[in-house]
Amino acid sequence: MDKQYKVQVKDLHKSYGQNEVLKGINLNVKPNEVVCMIGPSGSGKSTFLRCLNRLEEPNSGHVYVDGYDIADKRTNIDLVRQNIGMVFQHFNLFPNMSVAENIMLAPVQLKKMTKEEARAAALKYLDIVGLKDKADVRPTTLSGGQKQRVAIARALAMKPDVMLFDEPTSALDPEMVGDVLGVMKQLAKEGMTMIVVTHEMGFAKQVADRVVFFHNGVIQEQGTPEEIFDHPQQEETKSFLDKVLNV
Amino acid sequence: MMSKHWLGKVLMGLALLVGVGLGLSAQQPVHAAEKTYTIGTVDSFEPFEIPNNRGTYTSKNPGIEIEMLQQIAKHEGFKYKLKVMSFDATLTALQAGQIDATMGGMSVTSERKATIDFTKSYYSSGVVMAVAKSSKITKLSQLKGKTVAVKSGTSGAIYAKKMAKKYHFKVKYYKTDNTMWSDVQNGNSAATFDDEPVLRYGIRNGMKLKVVTKAVDSQPVAMGVKKGQNQELLAKLNDGITWMKKTGRMQKLINKYTKGSASSADSSSQRTIWALIKNNKGALWDGLVETLELTVVGAVLALAFGVILGVMGIAENRLLTGLSSTLIYIFRGMPMIVLAFFIYIGMPSVIGQKIPLFTAGVITLMLDEGAYVGAIVKGGFEAVDRGQWEAARSLGLPYSKALVKVIMPQGIKIMIPSLVNQFIITLKDTSILSAIGVMELTQTGTVIISRNMEGFKMWLIIAVIYVVIITLLTWLSNYVQRKVG
Repeated sequence: MDKQYKVQVKDLHKSYGQNEVLKGINLNVKPNEVVCMIGPSGSGKSTFLRCLNRLEEPNSGHVYVDGYDIADKRTNIDLVRQNIGMVFQHFNLFPNMSVAENIMLAPVQLKKMTKEEARAAALKYLDIVGLKDKADVRPTTLSGGQKQRVAIARALAMKPDVMLFDEPTSALDPEMVGDVLGVMKQLAKEGMTMIVVTHEMGFAKQVADRVVFFHNGVIQEQGTPEEIFDHPQQEETKSFLDKVLNV
Repeated sequence: MMSKHWLGKVLMGLALLVGVGLGLSAQQPVHAAEKTYTIGTVDSFEPFEIPNNRGTYTSKNPGIEIEMLQQIAKHEGFKYKLKVMSFDATLTALQAGQIDATMGGMSVTSERKATIDFTKSYYSSGVVMAVAKSSKITKLSQLKGKTVAVKSGTSGAIYAKKMAKKYHFKVKYYKTDNTMWSDVQNGNSAATFDDEPVLRYGIRNGMKLKVVTKAVDSQPVAMGVKKGQNQELLAKLNDGITWMKKTGRMQKLINKYTKGSASSADSSSQRTIWALIKNNKGALWDGLVETLELTVVGAVLALAFGVILGVMGIAENRLLTGLSSTLIYIFRGMPMIVLAFFIYIGMPSVIGQKIPLFTAGVITLMLDEGAYVGAIVKGGFEAVDRGQWEAARSLGLPYSKALVKVIMPQGIKIMIPSLVNQFIITLKDTSILSAIGVMELTQTGTVIISRNMEGFKMWLIIAVIYVVIITLLTWLSNYVQRKVG
């Protein structure tokens, strides 16, 4: 593996039974880089993202994060995951805890923080996502956009050096999308390494350092936002962008 | 992985608990000090053995043989301890050496003489046929194609089997007198054969039957010891019996139970429902307490066993999930009564020591109800959204912490209504343990009815007690669910 990369993926394959959904993916992500992954549904981009913290187990290939091979069964995955934040499409907040407790859980359990320290930290992150006043309510009382911002705060509380976003705005009402994207832009500006699966082309254009286009289980094309959105080389890329941009 | 580690500890702890329970209860000595004999007898065989409403022989009129033994022991100067069991079991226990002598209105037959040394006889009893009061049957020839009820192992049963071919009737076997008699009284069986004094006692105590034949197969009744063993005790018993006969004590005793003051258990003025409750309130209370103890201890152990099965059932390890499904399948698939018999009657011969009744009952409940709880727990965990696991694990929480902190609290909320329901079912299922003789509420009812023959009123009382307790429990559980929800 190459030390200059935060995330390095080599020849990654993943199948469900006879159906091969990832057909040899190679990708390198540098520190502070923001990579947006786009492509039609079923192209494998979400599965690929989930392989990066072994929520899906790869069939073959290597996934290095911070120098640990995640695809290797001997790797203590619980330890590596502490440095990889993940945000899900459906938020997955814990309904049996308050907002603050959602954020405090992992730091208290894993970083041996006291409750007081963890709560102070939780309030700091809630402040960053603009929800300090919601610390003691139940997640069920929040709107979708608020839930997703809590989920981001929960991931940040572990001080990860990579953040994975799996279609973070797809389940939101349109008027909520802006708040969540705003928080993500802020993170990018502060230098967080981010890998984002998204359908928000505006966000990709504006924030991404690199855009990766998935098609049929392979990376069909990648480049800067200008290269992909203004001068796409591949037919599949052009046809996809035609469909999503000219609705 | 962590999860297997702590799971193993819990399993070990549970095994240890059961082991200690078995070990402690096995410390009671079976054979006691010198000159104290263990005498086996039956759980009821009026008028020879008349248990009180707690199933013991401590009342004023405990039956002919019990009183006879009291007098002989005093006269001969020995002590004894009574072991109460079914008639079949007394014969087995005698051969196994668990008891020194047995009595239970036992007829002296040539078959039994092969393995038993009998004492002198003190009574002569013959088999008669009895039918329902309204029945028109008076002869064996009228039984063709009909069913006859008998108690297994008795001379009535031997006689019925002998006659069945000749008169073409079917034979149905029972364990207790009163269920057998009720069956005849209700018309399900056409007739019953039993020893005359036993039947006459039952009729005097309110059974609506009548004796229609003269005593046949008249056989002497005696006590017995294992052939060639306990000859000293045999000599004492024989000496005592001779003394009682010579002094007229024996006849006086027999008259007391067949003609005199002790010939009926309750006077008719005491037969209203309120009087029945008042007279038996101590026994009913004890039975209820036993039922509740079984329910609580059984349910707690079932919950522990069930949680282990449930946690194993959702593990990532295929071996654990397979083991969990198999255990749930076996114990849910087996009728609880079979499991109870297997543990109480089957297991002791394998492990080489007796399992006390309560322990056997509680283990039965643990395994049977635990299997249902296991399925509920597993289902509850599986009903928690998959995304909850992923969110918890992606934060770096190990399997066990994700399970305990995130999945369990949500799963338990889903499970609570089913668990409460299972608790109520557990309470009802304790009644099945009456089959192995646990003196819980149902068995208490059986014993009381064997004395007073008030089947309808007593079962009504027992049924109402169950319904009241279950109603209270349902209210309590609704309250708890509102609090949790």
